[in-house]
Amino acid sequence: MRSRAWLVAALALVAAVAVLSLAVGTRAVPLPAVIDALFHGGDTRDALVVRTLRLPRTEVGLTAGAALGLAGAVLQAVTRNPLADPGILGLSQGAAAGVVFAIAFGLASGFSGYVWFAFAGAVVAACLVYAISLRGRGGASPVKLALAGTALSAMAAGATTVVLTSSSATLDQFRFWQVGSLSGRDTGTVVRMLPFLVVGAVLVLVCAPGLDALELGDDTARALGHRVQLVRGCAALGATLLTAAAVAAAGPIAFVGLAVPHLARRLVPSGHRRVLPLSALLGAALLPVADVAGRVVRAPAEVPAGVMTALVGVPVLVFLVRRKVAGA
Amino acid sequence: MTGLPAGTVVLRPRPQLSLLLHRRSAVVAGVLVLLLLAVMAVAACVGQTVLTPGEVWRTIRSGSGQYDLVVNQLRVPRVVLGALVGGALGVAGALIQTVTRNPLASPDVIGVGHGAAAATVLALTAGAASSPAALPFVSVAGGLVAATIVYLLAWRRGMHANRFVLIGVGIGVALSAVVQLYLADSQLEAAEQLKLWLTGSLNGRGWEQAVPLAVVLVLCLPALIWAGRAVRPLGLDDDTAAGLGVRVQRNRLAVTVLGVVLAATATGAAGPIGFIALTAPQLARRVTRTPQLPLLGSALTGAVVLVAADLAARTVLPPVEIPVGALTALVGAPYLLWLLGRANERP
Repeated sequence: MRSRAWLVAALALVAAVAVLSLAVGTRAVPLPAVIDALFHGGDTRDALVVRTLRLPRTEVGLTAGAALGLAGAVLQAVTRNPLADPGILGLSQGAAAGVVFAIAFGLASGFSGYVWFAFAGAVVAACLVYAISLRGRGGASPVKLALAGTALSAMAAGATTVVLTSSSATLDQFRFWQVGSLSGRDTGTVVRMLPFLVVGAVLVLVCAPGLDALELGDDTARALGHRVQLVRGCAALGATLLTAAAVAAAGPIAFVGLAVPHLARRLVPSGHRRVLPLSALLGAALLPVADVAGRVVRAPAEVPAGVMTALVGVPVLVFLVRRKVAGA
Repeated sequence: MTGLPAGTVVLRPRPQLSLLLHRRSAVVAGVLVLLLLAVMAVAACVGQTVLTPGEVWRTIRSGSGQYDLVVNQLRVPRVVLGALVGGALGVAGALIQTVTRNPLASPDVIGVGHGAAAATVLALTAGAASSPAALPFVSVAGGLVAATIVYLLAWRRGMHANRFVLIGVGIGVALSAVVQLYLADSQLEAAEQLKLWLTGSLNGRGWEQAVPLAVVLVLCLPALIWAGRAVRPLGLDDDTAAGLGVRVQRNRLAVTVLGVVLAATATGAAGPIGFIALTAPQLARRVTRTPQLPLLGSALTGAVVLVAADLAARTVLPPVEIPVGALTALVGAPYLLWLLGRANERP
């Protein structure tokens, strides 16, 4: 019962955050005007701001946040690593590098093109990080995964820079996208994201019982009748899809996937059938909040949402490292 | 002559003075100096206009002539700066890796580079540092502050290397978020310039960056000579070192500060150039085959690697110049990954 109450509360929070994201900004729009604009349209300046500017970025924030929260929870379970996050494991920079190559070489324009390259980049990064951290004595320890991810991120960022220095047009397109900003997205972005999100979400939710078993260790999971490699592979593929879609839409946004699952695990009893949906909802609430905060902090200038999540997320990382990895 | 470590000889220029010399290290150092001079010479000759060594030499000696601009004002200062920055980063890496006993803990991994970068960008955008002479101080301060924060946050009933590195990575991310913020805020032209600086580049830099760095290096020289002796017992475990009468904590702190100052000054001169401090000491140690990270060897290796990388950065994709920091990340990150793959294999 308690976990259902938390789910309802999280849903209410998401709704509240959505309204906040529509109403708050350089131009504050009163609540009745927001509702009026949503349901009746109209040509007033308030209505235009809400419908054409804030509605799309709110939608992107909600969906990308949900995807990252879900992906983080899954990655933490798959790698048994409390520090796992699409950003820390290098998936986000890998996806970003894929997108930059697509832009620079004219291989793709627009979201539907980007997302495939983002996906390819994220998959390559995921495979490399996992393969590398498996090597050596001690296997894929949390620290090795995190450091391998960091190193791969640096490499992807280097490759990205090489491409960007050769083309200032690409840089101009890219620099806003890179920091993880939600501004300047249109409603179509979310529609094109949806198929990837749905497939990814279904994949990871199907794996939920297997993820529970994985937490007990590979041998126990096998004894319980789970096909460990299949579960791990499916869940990782789902998380990669979710990350790629989120990165293609909003740029590499760090730490949402790190912080949210930890919060979710504290609120509901263990079990991924409860933790995963709550992580998705909390992620959906967190990213728009970061976006709104970024609009307000230095108005009229905007702070990209990705910068805000990094500034909030790093203390979480420090806290986790101090508590959990000691002696790892 | 018994009791000497293998491969060492004792030099006695005077009866009171004796020097313990690792033979292979000395040979390697000599070879590295020659290599550095060779790479610097090639870098001075090659570019958009390719000159013969004779032409370059004549231009340097006369200080004027047809190629004065290219040689005396662009290439020579740039090559010298590259050697100084690479050397400073190499030594800094060797010092910090010895102190933390962790090959992963290079200055850029523990937040020094990002701290120096963030401080410099903040100072530049705030207009606080209008003269280039002030920038090294700003970046040293930024690097020291960042390293201090990382150190304090990682300290919990003792220092654990992995915790140190992970928190350093985290603080680095937070600081680069601050930098990104200013990047997205500024105009395109300014953003391109900042971006170039932030990836680490020697392009358009010269004596005004090289001279302050050289001054700092000279000032650090006595400390480095002291550190060369002090780091030797720090490679042992704490109890053994303390048993030998070494003041472990004090020496460790002093060596760390020295490393941070060197790395931060280099960053202030050329932007955060990643992975030189990480790779140079390890490369040097493999060549010298010493159990310790050789300080002089690390410095020379860092200088050779950076000058060569800069040469590649401006000649691989003409007419485009790749920021050398992007190139060192492309080459250095796989090395870090390889290092991780081998972690724990050695005792």
